[in-house]
Amino acid sequence: MAADRRRGFRSAFRHWRSGRPFWGGLLLALGGAEVLFTMKASLKVVLHVGMQGVAGYLLPVLMLLCGLLTLVNPAQRLFYSLLGVLASLGTWLTSNLGGFLVGLLLGCVGSCLVFGWLPDQEPRRARRRRRKEARAAQGSPLPPAPPAGEPA
Amino acid sequence: MASSSDVTPSAGDTPEPTGDTESVSARRGRVRLRRAAVMAVPAAAVTAGLAILTAQGALGVQFAISGMPFTVTATELDGTGFAQFGGLDNMAEGSPNAGDTGGQVLVVTSVIKNATLTKLCQSVDLGGTNLLITAGGGGTKVSASDLTTDSTELSGDAAFDNIEIGNDASTLDKAGPKGRGPIGVFSQQADTVHIANLRQTNYATTAGVFKLPGLKMRFSESGC
Repeated sequence: MAADRRRGFRSAFRHWRSGRPFWGGLLLALGGAEVLFTMKASLKVVLHVGMQGVAGYLLPVLMLLCGLLTLVNPAQRLFYSLLGVLASLGTWLTSNLGGFLVGLLLGCVGSCLVFGWLPDQEPRRARRRRRKEARAAQGSPLPPAPPAGEPA
Repeated sequence: MASSSDVTPSAGDTPEPTGDTESVSARRGRVRLRRAAVMAVPAAAVTAGLAILTAQGALGVQFAISGMPFTVTATELDGTGFAQFGGLDNMAEGSPNAGDTGGQVLVVTSVIKNATLTKLCQSVDLGGTNLLITAGGGGTKVSASDLTTDSTELSGDAAFDNIEIGNDASTLDKAGPKGRGPIGVFSQQADTVHIANLRQTNYATTAGVFKLPGLKMRFSESGC
């Protein structure tokens, strides 16, 4: 019974994961969290240091939010990935060399995965072959016919 | 007859209700390599560019580390606008690092308005291994502005110009607005400071814009 429920949960999770750039969003959020972790300075000192100190917190928080929002709202993934990669690169200047490089790399890799992610599509080779078949089927009986019957 | 011919094609169009797990594994989004490379290549180029510019000392970098003690050493430190005062840092409530200290650490806050350091070395103990950052070993020195450090230990051979000892920390003026402490606290300030063989154990924070020519970052068995 319990195993059954767990399997149900896992397949539901897999289903949820398959509909969004899961690993990319997760890496981006983790990168933001890592940079924030290396920044644990007390807020009093940060205010003491001024605007640049605040930016050091702002960018990793932006990374974290972009990563989480990618998971929640994958339709906007291009925007989040662009914002995420820019924020990740900015943390090199503002936050301990991008959380000593670790957070910066996590954020960049995550953003690239999000950017490169596409939802379910047929494999390109099958599509190309089908298009070729359609053209061949159309071409041999009536060469000058416009592709009216081809599904876009 | 008509109803049965209706059902068969519609079942072929929507296979979800029958083979659920199969359709899930077949219909999942994927990362397209070439698409990801469109962003990965410029991002990698910019990262490399930032690292190179930083290592040449053309770009300043902000540091604000805390929570774990770390060590900073330099063979020489020269600074203008120096202020130093005592302070009490509070750990987060229930912090496992608190021990029998009651969660408070007595620190010395040093503020240097403009500082240059030769052969800067900074190490953070990550438990087992140390993250080591060195810079300023070549011809150009590391420079920092508004360098603020909360240290528990500070050693070196120091020389000060125009030092005033025993001011109230709230009246300090030589290190700018950042070099001012709470009222009623012992403090000292000086126009210039020179420390040779500097060694600091910083408990809480250093923050300021660093220019790190000759930057090297690596993991090492031993600290600075």
